[in-house]
Amino acid sequence: MTFNEQELVKGCKQRNRIAQKQLYDVFGGKLFAICLRYTKNRADAEDVLQDAFIKIYENIDSYRGDSPLEYWLRSVVVNTALNHLRQQKYVKELDDIDYHLNGIADREFTLANFQLQQLLELVRELPQGCQTIFNLYAIEGYQHNEIAQKLGISEGTSKSQYARARALLQLKLNKETRFDDGSVRNKQL
Amino acid sequence: MDPSGINNFEEQWRKALSEASETPPKSIWENIEARLDENSEKGAVLPLWWQSKKLWLAAASVAALLVVGAGFWFSDSSKNGQNRIEVAGKAAQSPATEKTNMPEAGHAAAQENTEAVASNAPDNIESTDSKSVKENNQTLASATTPRRNVENSSGRSSASRVNSQNSIGAAGKSDIASVENSVLERNQDFAQSNNLASTSISSNEIQNDILAKTESSEKAIAVDMLATPAYNELDIHVQKRYVFFKPDAIAKEDIKPKKHTEYWAGIGLMPASFNPDVQLKNAPQDFSYQALSRTKAVTASSEAGISYALQTHGGVRISKHWSVELGLSYLQGNSSYEGGGYLINSKSQSTNVLENALADASKGSSYSGGTDKFNNGALYVDITNKVANNYQYLQMPVQAGFTLNPDKKLSYSLLGGMMANFFLSNQIEAASGDIITTRASDEIYRSMNWAATTGLRFNYRLSSRWKANLTGSYQKAISSGFRSNQTLDAHPYLYGVAWGVRYSF
Repeated sequence: MTFNEQELVKGCKQRNRIAQKQLYDVFGGKLFAICLRYTKNRADAEDVLQDAFIKIYENIDSYRGDSPLEYWLRSVVVNTALNHLRQQKYVKELDDIDYHLNGIADREFTLANFQLQQLLELVRELPQGCQTIFNLYAIEGYQHNEIAQKLGISEGTSKSQYARARALLQLKLNKETRFDDGSVRNKQL
Repeated sequence: MDPSGINNFEEQWRKALSEASETPPKSIWENIEARLDENSEKGAVLPLWWQSKKLWLAAASVAALLVVGAGFWFSDSSKNGQNRIEVAGKAAQSPATEKTNMPEAGHAAAQENTEAVASNAPDNIESTDSKSVKENNQTLASATTPRRNVENSSGRSSASRVNSQNSIGAAGKSDIASVENSVLERNQDFAQSNNLASTSISSNEIQNDILAKTESSEKAIAVDMLATPAYNELDIHVQKRYVFFKPDAIAKEDIKPKKHTEYWAGIGLMPASFNPDVQLKNAPQDFSYQALSRTKAVTASSEAGISYALQTHGGVRISKHWSVELGLSYLQGNSSYEGGGYLINSKSQSTNVLENALADASKGSSYSGGTDKFNNGALYVDITNKVANNYQYLQMPVQAGFTLNPDKKLSYSLLGGMMANFFLSNQIEAASGDIITTRASDEIYRSMNWAATTGLRFNYRLSSRWKANLTGSYQKAISSGFRSNQTLDAHPYLYGVAWGVRYSF
């Protein structure tokens, strides 16, 4: 879709409904995928998306154009999702589990054979804490100290939760792969 | 640990998920729009001054004033510029006159020249304005008639020089006839004939340049005052990994105060279990004459029947969680009364305990339920009989509601309040099998009695305006349904599940 980002932002700042709708049309899909990653079910994801767009429209004036618009939108959505989880008190239940990255050498690791829906489902099946930290670290690219600060947990907890998420995903992927193409991959775990 | 392996894992996931897109359901935008409408209706969190027509008009008039003001300023300064050109011309002239010692001739020629121009084109002198000055600066070749005046003013010095070197006759070159020639030609002539002339012209040009610069800078200032700052095209940054970390973003977003006023109207149907809980305190008079029947008569009980209520309600949301609602419902409360036996007299007239009690309660009125026909010789038949006992009420509930998850798709409301039940009619099945109808005008039942009500409601948002709801509700009368509670007492209660929809305004 072709659109002029500046015009769009300008329109949104003037609370122009057409511009707001266009912003939603352009970015709604990607942002909804983020919501789906951070929540456990579709209804929650829809709630987060709604709240996030309201925040976006209300706070569009604080967007100064110093970073690409999409990054700003994504950060609002991630923050809204975290807020949502915080309200549901999932994050508080995070414990420091004794998981470490134990040299998982997956040189031929690839997700190319998987459908997006499958992968989303795998992420959503993770325990809530693992899911959140996996998203923040692996997909959004935060560092563990930033995640720790964001979620009010220790850096160690973030690391161990991430290691656990990784191990669980690896395990599930191995299962799914066997199931799909009948071949058994080298089990590293 | 193999760092490349780790990166590979995250890289793969990021590739697969970070750009993923999933079309959200259509209802989301509708909800967002509804919430935006709600916010903007509430008189704007942000002052949307740029949407005010008055302010636009004010801004436009200020802009117009600026334009006009700038125009005046501009033309003033161009006139000054012209003066300066003349002064410069004179300044250049004086050394020339010293050289030639023929100032008068020079002056005469120059004056003749200007006069000739004035006589030829008197309008032009007046029309010397900023435009001509600007054009001067832009290109000499495009010189127009008003330009001649400027040229002439500089021509005063050049002409004097021409005169001084050649002869007065030479001044004829720049006389009335030559004015008709193009200014460019004259300029070239002057330049060829005299270096001094060309220097003076170039000095004029410098003057013009300076003027034009000051003019253009003035113009730029005026434009700056009017125009909004321009947008800069943003560079497209391609980053592999972008960290967006705003620790205070959440805190900032949370402190927005919101208003939540919302009105709604709804309808519903409530299947219910209604129990009038009719109690006989004492056996009715006729029954009490029969010693044996006394105990039996008062151990009867009410049984709930399948009932329903048609409900309408309207409400207002007064804060994020709290709401108040009012309603009007029609309740058809069906029940049965079991026990008590009945009396039968010698004339084969019969009465059951309920109709007899009602007849007692209606003493002195024109109630059709019965008369004292069973005083003597009546027979008490001890059969546990079950008679229908149905009520119609008009209900007006006033309830307060506390809603959890108010803006989500599924929300829950806890309700509590009072309900005024207006008695419409009661029907009981008589021992004879007839239906005896009691109305409010019979003055047996209270025309209005109070009930307490409480409930739990699930709201499901169908669209921005419509919600479906399911309400579990319990109502219990807090006063007796009878006017006189000597023999009869009733505290109806009801359990129901209402299905309804509501529309928000």
